Amino acid sequence: MKEEIYQTFCPGCGVGCGLYIREDPEGNTSVDFMKSSPANLGKLCRFGMKVPYHYSKARTMVTGSKADIEDAIKAAAHRMADADSVTMLSVGNTTSEEHMAFCRIAETLGTRVDTGVFPLPSQITSKCGSYPEGISLDEMEKAKRIALFLDPYVQYPLIVRRLLAAKRNGAGIVAVGTKELHLADETLDIGPDRYDELGLDDKSLIVADIHPNSDPVHVKQLLDLAGRCGAKIHFMQPFINSTGVNLALKANGSMMALAQIMEDIEAGNIRTLVTLDSDPVELMPDAAAAVETLKKLDNLIVISSRASPVTELADVVIATEPVYMKAGTFMNVEGRLQENSGSGVAGIDAMSLLNGELGGKRFDYQQLHYIFMKSIGDPGTDVGDVTADKAEQMECGSVDVDNAGSSVPEGMYQLKYLYNPFMWFDQKDDNDFVLIDRKLVKKLGLKKGGMVVLGSENGKMKMRYRVENIPGGMIMTAKKIPVATGPNTIISLEGC
Amino acid sequence: MVEIGDKVLGYATDPGIRNRGASGGMVTAILAAALERGLVDSVIVLRHINEYEAVPVITDDVDEVLASAGSMHTVPVNLAKYAAGRKVAMPGKPCDVRAVFEQAKRNEIDIDNTFIIGLNCGGTMHPVLTREMLVRMYEIDPEDVVGEKIDKGKLFFRTKDGEEKAIPIDDLEDAGYGRRESCRYCDVKIPVNADLACGNWGVIGELAGNATFCEVMNGKGVRLLENAIESGYVQIEPAGEQSIAIREKVNSAMLSLGEKWSARVFTEIPEEQRINYYMEQFADCIDCGACKEACPVCTCDEDSKCTMYHSLADDYKMSMYHMVRLLHLSDSCIGCGQCSDVCPVDIPVTSIFRRFADPAQKKHNYKAGMTLERPPFLEVMLK
Ligand SMILES: Cc1cc2nc3c(=O)[nH]c(=O)nc-3n(C[C@H](O)[C@H](O)[C@H](O)COP(=O)(O)OP(=O)(O)OC[C@H]3O[C@@H](n4cnc5c(N)ncnc54)[C@H](O)[C@@H]3O)c2cc1C
Ligand code: SF4
Ligand code: SF4
Ligand code: SF4
Ligand code: SF4
Repeated sequence: MKEEIYQTFCPGCGVGCGLYIREDPEGNTSVDFMKSSPANLGKLCRFGMKVPYHYSKARTMVTGSKADIEDAIKAAAHRMADADSVTMLSVGNTTSEEHMAFCRIAETLGTRVDTGVFPLPSQITSKCGSYPEGISLDEMEKAKRIALFLDPYVQYPLIVRRLLAAKRNGAGIVAVGTKELHLADETLDIGPDRYDELGLDDKSLIVADIHPNSDPVHVKQLLDLAGRCGAKIHFMQPFINSTGVNLALKANGSMMALAQIMEDIEAGNIRTLVTLDSDPVELMPDAAAAVETLKKLDNLIVISSRASPVTELADVVIATEPVYMKAGTFMNVEGRLQENSGSGVAGIDAMSLLNGELGGKRFDYQQLHYIFMKSIGDPGTDVGDVTADKAEQMECGSVDVDNAGSSVPEGMYQLKYLYNPFMWFDQKDDNDFVLIDRKLVKKLGLKKGGMVVLGSENGKMKMRYRVENIPGGMIMTAKKIPVATGPNTIISLEGC
Repeated sequence: MVEIGDKVLGYATDPGIRNRGASGGMVTAILAAALERGLVDSVIVLRHINEYEAVPVITDDVDEVLASAGSMHTVPVNLAKYAAGRKVAMPGKPCDVRAVFEQAKRNEIDIDNTFIIGLNCGGTMHPVLTREMLVRMYEIDPEDVVGEKIDKGKLFFRTKDGEEKAIPIDDLEDAGYGRRESCRYCDVKIPVNADLACGNWGVIGELAGNATFCEVMNGKGVRLLENAIESGYVQIEPAGEQSIAIREKVNSAMLSLGEKWSARVFTEIPEEQRINYYMEQFADCIDCGACKEACPVCTCDEDSKCTMYHSLADDYKMSMYHMVRLLHLSDSCIGCGQCSDVCPVDIPVTSIFRRFADPAQKKHNYKAGMTLERPPFLEVMLK
């Protein structure tokens, strides 16, 4: 009878909540509360409570058949060495040390690692001090006025208590373009042209998020707002190590939006993609379209700690141990470096072997840890080239402005994704419903417990609904659904 | 010969265990003896992570038991759930013991196979808030702390350099630190429902600080203690009149302090405002289910009454989950504080549940978790 207990962090979002994973002798896992964890005091959201479901173990495969790890590494090396160019994606779902190992492989290949987030304007680091290093969540409690550009209850639940504390400390909270939030004093459905009405000043805080499907134009609008009024911005991030990989970027990578990568695959410009714990099928708003795009690759090589749709599609899967077992560190949205108690280095050893096969140097955990610590050694330094002001040049592309509504044709609605941990990992939850505005109930003649039919160019589907006070013409959902073509989709809506 | 009702002072015979123990290492020694001599298959103890954190482990390794010596006041765990389905010995604060009884009423725990060494309890503190308190109120670096104790209403911290600093607990609690809210109004301080009831109240004179006062509550208590004495792990002597009187006096003082806190927390809410009170309290709930998962008296599975009638798609102003749980736990809530501890949006779940359960439990003259003699008043007890 031997039970293993791991001190680790929830992989659900950038808050990086501390928890214990208990693994019984049969390998079944359960969650226990780590009350001494400063980021969350042991508290966990709905996703954290269900985290054992997340650790579905990946299997090492070559062209659809089970393989041993050495053969998979050789097959991957062969494909990577033969490719004209290799694109490498790591969004921050694993340890800093594994990310550094991935960067070493990129170096050997003469390429770089992309994080899937668009290039960030340099003003983020210089003016707001909150990104990529993060600011302490304690700071949130001290703000005098807070403008929320996200729904904390659904998207980043562990900041709800911070916002409530801010409120107890006298802060006024305004929610912008979201559903009515109980903790907000007011909810405003306004566009960027009216942001000055928010009444923010240098004691205020803007809370928004940056993720692979964020709209760069909207981020720019928020930065402009902060610039005008002197408010700080706290950008939440969706992955356990988003902050770590962003910081490591200074030395090791770039930020190419995931949508851009997918467009380049579609156009045939990218023919070999290597991913590290990053699944474009889960990450892209339209899963079916993402699958079709990935099928166009010559080589899809997946290094992953968990089974997910991309491991089904890959030419080679190099399976690593579950994240909770790994030796390594993660940096949360506050810039807090947190260390796993696990000692697993299977992922690092596999990447070391892969690097060796590619003609590069072998490495070990200690070296990578040292390199990571060195790369974040001076968090104040500007991110330099990679954060050049490209956001200003960026088009919306496949990503729509977050708070639109004006461009929605008469009689149609805007379906907005409320990104949340379940959505990023396409993990099952009790969330198969849409939020609709009260006025629609009458208009569509809906009955209690009934359904609505959503329609888009992707087809039609029925869904349950919940009534909320939400901006006019908008439908929201916290579940990834097939009718969506992006984070915001124009849809039709009927009662049934 | 040990007999039911004996009140003794005892300590571990091994000087190492005695030194590392909270007050004489007797509890650790009894647990180790129970495991070593096959009275139980495994023991539940805390594995220390650092000065402020420990995690419960179920172990059959005597060394792990010995390493767990010491009271962790900043580890507000509940150990009851770990005992389910095992032949086990465990230490237990009153809330641990009460939860074991509630589990036993529902056949999750076999009380005959569960040996409980009760620990008197003045309360536990939250680890993160304690660190914050050390910096803000004591002006001590939490990493420098090597020990802590409660004496004469003050909380003392000792640092590496041998210095000691004390602040009255009342002052700490007024500033929002100190014991968790549930501990302030907790109404069982000596676990008389355990097999042995151990604590440092009443240990006086030369033995103060290195022996434990132990009351033998039942036959299992006799077996535990005799087993430890026979194996040479523990030495005891009868407790004197003065010791017994002091223990009683401190217990009464703590209980009346608890009553004062109770009056402070549970102010009357006019009947017409009650429904609004409950709805408003739960308005920020994010439906994480942690309060159910952490609840040591809840024996339901993932699919249970409170979850089956609840859907995120519902429009209820207060979820079915809470409505069902409030009712369902009204005959079993022991006020252990676990639900408040884990609530990610800081809802004072324990106080809300106690407010709901208390009138019903009082009306039935029923204190949850104290005995198997009284079945739960809402349910049939499984035998
Ligand atoms: C939180 C707490 C508060 C207490 N308050 C009082 C009090 O006010 N008055 C009083 O007379 N006695 C109190 N005690 C009991 C006292 O501190 C000693 O535990 C008791 O006298 C036995 O001493 P010992 O040396 O024999 O125990 P030890 O040999 O040191 O064994 C202690 C055992 O307690 C377990 N333990 C430690 N911390 C916890 C915890 N947080 N929850 C559950 N189990 C734990 C350990 O795993 C170990 O098995 C308290 C104990 C605890 C844990
Ligand atoms: S998903 Fe985020 S907020 Fe929820 S438990 Fe995990 S890290 Fe914490
Ligand atoms: S609830 Fe009671 S028994 Fe439990 S830790 Fe608090 S004071 Fe101790
Ligand atoms: S409802 Fe809360 S206070 Fe009551 S027994 Fe359960 S966890 Fe403890
Ligand atoms: S722990 Fe808190 S947020 Fe979670 S379900 Fe319970 S009351 Fe709601």
